Amino acid sequence: MDYSEAANRISRKFAQSGQTPDVKKIEGKLKRLVDEFGVQPSEAERSVTSELAKEFNLPVPGAGSAPGGGKGGGTEEKKIAESVPGEWVTIEGKIVALSAPASPSIAQSGIIADDSGAIRFVVWAKSNAPAMTDGSWYRIESAVVDEFKGVANLKVHSGTTIKEITDDRSLIPTPAPIKDLHPGIGNVRAKFIQEWDASHDRMLQSGLLGDETGTIKFVMWKEPGKERLVPGAVYNLFYAQVDEFNGRLSLNLNTATILQEEGEIAVTGGEATITGAIVHIAPGSGIIKRCPVEGCNRALSRQNYCPVHEIQPKFIYDLRIKGWLDDGEKTHNVLVQREVVESLTGISLAQAQEIAENNPLGMDEVFLQMRDKVLGRYITCSGREIDNRLLVNKCEIVKFSSADHTALLNRAGGAPS
Amino acid sequence: MSTNAKDMPPRREGAFEREPARRVFAAELRECRYQFREGEDEKSPTFVLLPSGERSNRIFIVGTLTEKTRQGEQNIFYRGRVVDPTGTFFIMAGSYQPEAMQQLAKIETPAFVAVIGKPSLYQKPDGAWLVSVRVESITVVDKDTRDLWVLDAAKHTLDRVDAYAKEPTPDILKAKEQYPTIDPSLFRKIAYDALAQIKM
Repeated sequence: MDYSEAANRISRKFAQSGQTPDVKKIEGKLKRLVDEFGVQPSEAERSVTSELAKEFNLPVPGAGSAPGGGKGGGTEEKKIAESVPGEWVTIEGKIVALSAPASPSIAQSGIIADDSGAIRFVVWAKSNAPAMTDGSWYRIESAVVDEFKGVANLKVHSGTTIKEITDDRSLIPTPAPIKDLHPGIGNVRAKFIQEWDASHDRMLQSGLLGDETGTIKFVMWKEPGKERLVPGAVYNLFYAQVDEFNGRLSLNLNTATILQEEGEIAVTGGEATITGAIVHIAPGSGIIKRCPVEGCNRALSRQNYCPVHEIQPKFIYDLRIKGWLDDGEKTHNVLVQREVVESLTGISLAQAQEIAENNPLGMDEVFLQMRDKVLGRYITCSGREIDNRLLVNKCEIVKFSSADHTALLNRAGGAPS
Repeated sequence: MSTNAKDMPPRREGAFEREPARRVFAAELRECRYQFREGEDEKSPTFVLLPSGERSNRIFIVGTLTEKTRQGEQNIFYRGRVVDPTGTFFIMAGSYQPEAMQQLAKIETPAFVAVIGKPSLYQKPDGAWLVSVRVESITVVDKDTRDLWVLDAAKHTLDRVDAYAKEPTPDILKAKEQYPTIDPSLFRKIAYDALAQIKM
């Protein structure tokens, strides 16, 4: 096999993309694959080509429907929402967010949007593409859509042509209901309903947003120009990043355009009241120890071990009940917070601590006493339902009602309905 | 590899659904003759089909523990009788339910108890059927809780009887097939009698 000819052929492919690979090195690699490993010459050429493509962050030249590169011809013009990972696309869109590049090999990253949707983009430093400005429209020819962490991402490489569009175009994003969000980029109109403690030094703010259809967690990282949201206020959040972790979605607001508005939203999703019988008290209920490190608050093991901060002898005591509340049709996972546990069981944190430290059974004794006071009882729990778990902030023991009794007697004695 | 919203699985609904605890009077549970298993898996839940047309893997009962006996030499287990306004539930807790067995062992009869457990069917050598409830947990409760349970059990019984007369679900059809001689309107009368036993 004539290695130099093949090497030149490969090198030419990349020269079109503005790269100058080392022909001698290519030749060496081919020779090694064919002579040492017995690889078919055509397969060796393919393998070296794709290795180089990876190195230069380029799509494999000549693969699939890809064009020769550079010309911009051959790729279909698409709406952003229609672009699918693995495709070469030409799109026209507006830069709606620019974020700090995460690596020196990235020149620019951000979000580009059209009237169909929005997509994150990355401009490779090696592409020598002109810098785009936030708020301007561009025609991006022959870029590649791929997938990063399960989310579509537009890659601008050296074969991509970028042209600024100067005619006046407007773009008004439409907010989607929270329950319809999916990983990628999303627009919502939501109320800031609950502020949480920042769990990280770099975190500016985190909490819960809600609209008429549901709730979603959000996070904002510290960055110049970022301002905290005001609890209770309503916001239009355009082009936020929707991330997925363990099947749960959250919003990253660092890329988002945040517009506060005067309106009000009746947040219904999440707020729930359930009446039923407590049918199970789970281990980990009763008195527990929490990690004292600021912003952590995780429950410690019996040996005072925090999964993040290791042994913490100066733990903080807390009360909670994890259990199942059953209405006869469905069983609801409930997590009852300290004040509610105190009023429900009549055992205060101080009393529980006294039992835990002086009773031979220790913390187990608190669990048993609480179990005997709560298990099998009818209670009404209210709180916020997140991921199928009701975080109970209010609860009441159900009282016998003669009105209910009479109504049922009438129903049972009456004609079949 | 598409990230289209339509291709995404729906948002995950918790890893598993716990089987709800059905509210059923002793008089209805006593009539059960049919149990089945959903799925082929070793851990698939077993259901007892109530004559009113609902499956039950777990039940919640509140009544009076009138009797308990310790049985067995090597494998100790406890049997007990829990009485509601309509009849008697037979409960048991063995060494596979150590927590429930200890709870049951501690309780002095008679006492109002709340029982969460799993019903199962046995046929005795003489051919008679027995529905027994394997206790998951049992606690002493007050009379108010008992009265609340009677209301709750009556409500769910009436709901089932009403549903039986309307559009049939697969479980109702199965109940009609398995219990051809039982008319669920009988349970309406039973619910009425149970409610009437509570002092106004």
